[in-house]
Amino acid sequence: MATIQVSEAEKVYIMHGVRDDSRVDGRGCEDYRHMEIETDVVSNTDGSAKVSLGQTDILVGIKAEIGRPRPMVPDEGYLEFFVDCSANATPEFEGRGGEELGVELSNNLYKVFNNRHSLDLRSLCIRPGENCWVLYVDVLLLQCDGNLFDAMSIAIKAALFNTRIPNVHISEDEEGGKEIELSDDPYDCMRLNVENVPCIVTLCKIGHRHVVDATLQEKSCSVASLLISVTHKGTVTCVRKLGGGSLDPDSIFEMTETGKRVGKMLHVPLMELLQKEENLGRERTKVGFLA
Amino acid sequence: MPVDTKRIRGPELSQSPLLFVSPVSEVSSSSSSSRQGVRGNGDVRPVFARCGLVSQAKGSAYLEAGNTKIICSVYGPRETERKDETDMKSGRLVCDFRLAPFSCPKRGAWIQGAEERDLSAALAESLQPGACLHRYPRAQVDVNVVVLENDGSVLAHAVTCASMALADAGIEMYDMVLGCALRQDGERCLVDPDLAEEQSGAGENQGRVAVALLPNLNQISGLQADGEMREDTLTAAVRTCVEGCHKLYPVVQQAILRAVKKKAPPPPEK
Repeated sequence: MATIQVSEAEKVYIMHGVRDDSRVDGRGCEDYRHMEIETDVVSNTDGSAKVSLGQTDILVGIKAEIGRPRPMVPDEGYLEFFVDCSANATPEFEGRGGEELGVELSNNLYKVFNNRHSLDLRSLCIRPGENCWVLYVDVLLLQCDGNLFDAMSIAIKAALFNTRIPNVHISEDEEGGKEIELSDDPYDCMRLNVENVPCIVTLCKIGHRHVVDATLQEKSCSVASLLISVTHKGTVTCVRKLGGGSLDPDSIFEMTETGKRVGKMLHVPLMELLQKEENLGRERTKVGFLA
Repeated sequence: MPVDTKRIRGPELSQSPLLFVSPVSEVSSSSSSSRQGVRGNGDVRPVFARCGLVSQAKGSAYLEAGNTKIICSVYGPRETERKDETDMKSGRLVCDFRLAPFSCPKRGAWIQGAEERDLSAALAESLQPGACLHRYPRAQVDVNVVVLENDGSVLAHAVTCASMALADAGIEMYDMVLGCALRQDGERCLVDPDLAEEQSGAGENQGRVAVALLPNLNQISGLQADGEMREDTLTAAVRTCVEGCHKLYPVVQQAILRAVKKKAPPPPEK
């Protein structure tokens, strides 16, 4: 992860601030930074979204391709995650430097989506055992300022909401050969139900309290954090302790409770926002990358 | 007769036939209320543990829980390979987790896959809080774990096995690290699941939890959960796992004590 140097005095200052529920940038312990979401930013993708959370900037592009379903689950499509830590974000990611972090992030994404209800994979099936849609979810880190997981999950949810998969028609010729035809009409497409897609909430333990959406400075003050992915109903789909420290069982229970509460609250405005952006239609002014 | 290989009409990709076997055993184990053998839902499998079987390594351990068999060896502390590391004040714990190709029902590759790398990272994160790494500046300790047979709860048992090997290697530690896994299947909560139990089940409230615990300090050093669980189920699951870890503690203690006695026999009584 991108690292910054924080002196002992600064650490003490941050920790005392957190103790008194006042963080360096004036937020409370359960507040997120200012967030900006824009969908449909890359025209070559089937769905894309850009999320900036404070100084953290993430771009997600989703491409749908036709592949073969996995032999274990012949009637389901699947998702592939790839996280690229580009050297734009920090020089440390140059060459293979970002690989370790990228693998960690994508492995966690697989875990978060490893359940039946997050996304209806059956809807991605075209012909059981033969063809299905494979969604390639590519995450690009443009800027890192802490809390990559949360920003990433929000961007993925937004991009999945934005994804339009063309409808297909299967035609059969006289000899029994089947052919898949893609629809020519760009509006003849399938949308995904993203209602159950979880959002990740990362809680950093600082002193005796925990904070949501830690910046890099705050992160350097904490030894352990807890990642929780929560659906809009409050179901927990993934939990993971991150970092080299250990946590008290009681504080873990407190953190899961906070995580659930914060996560549930995150979904409502997010879905409203996405719907609102969608309703703007063609009138929407594109902001792009130089916001 | 020359054979035209291009005319053989087989699938291009070959799959293990085991994938297509109808899961008979899974259904029977999930429909009946009791588990295989005489084990209750909250019971861990009997554990066999020994230290010091790899003579070349600084410390090593072997752990067997049911059919899950894990071997771990620890090398070091030795000079670190990575010189660019900014934080040289404390040592590094380098974990390498491998599933032997024949350990799972489906043959795996020798090259470390994404899953194994993820497990290596989880193992390192769980062990780190237990080891006094600040005592080994500029050094690294290598922990190599090989799973010989995978019959469920691999990560949890690997954590226990690795911490025993660390203790056997004489690495200074704050506490042992014990691991326990759990499978939540609806309202049923199966501690220390085997492979069939790990994969079976459908419906609401499905999940897998693995906890690593420092028993004396009462700190959780590793926590991993996936699936779909309500928050209260998750909390209960973590509590059950902590209890499961405590059940393991005497066995681990005994094994280490035995290894220490062997290395430094007590002075003969007069």
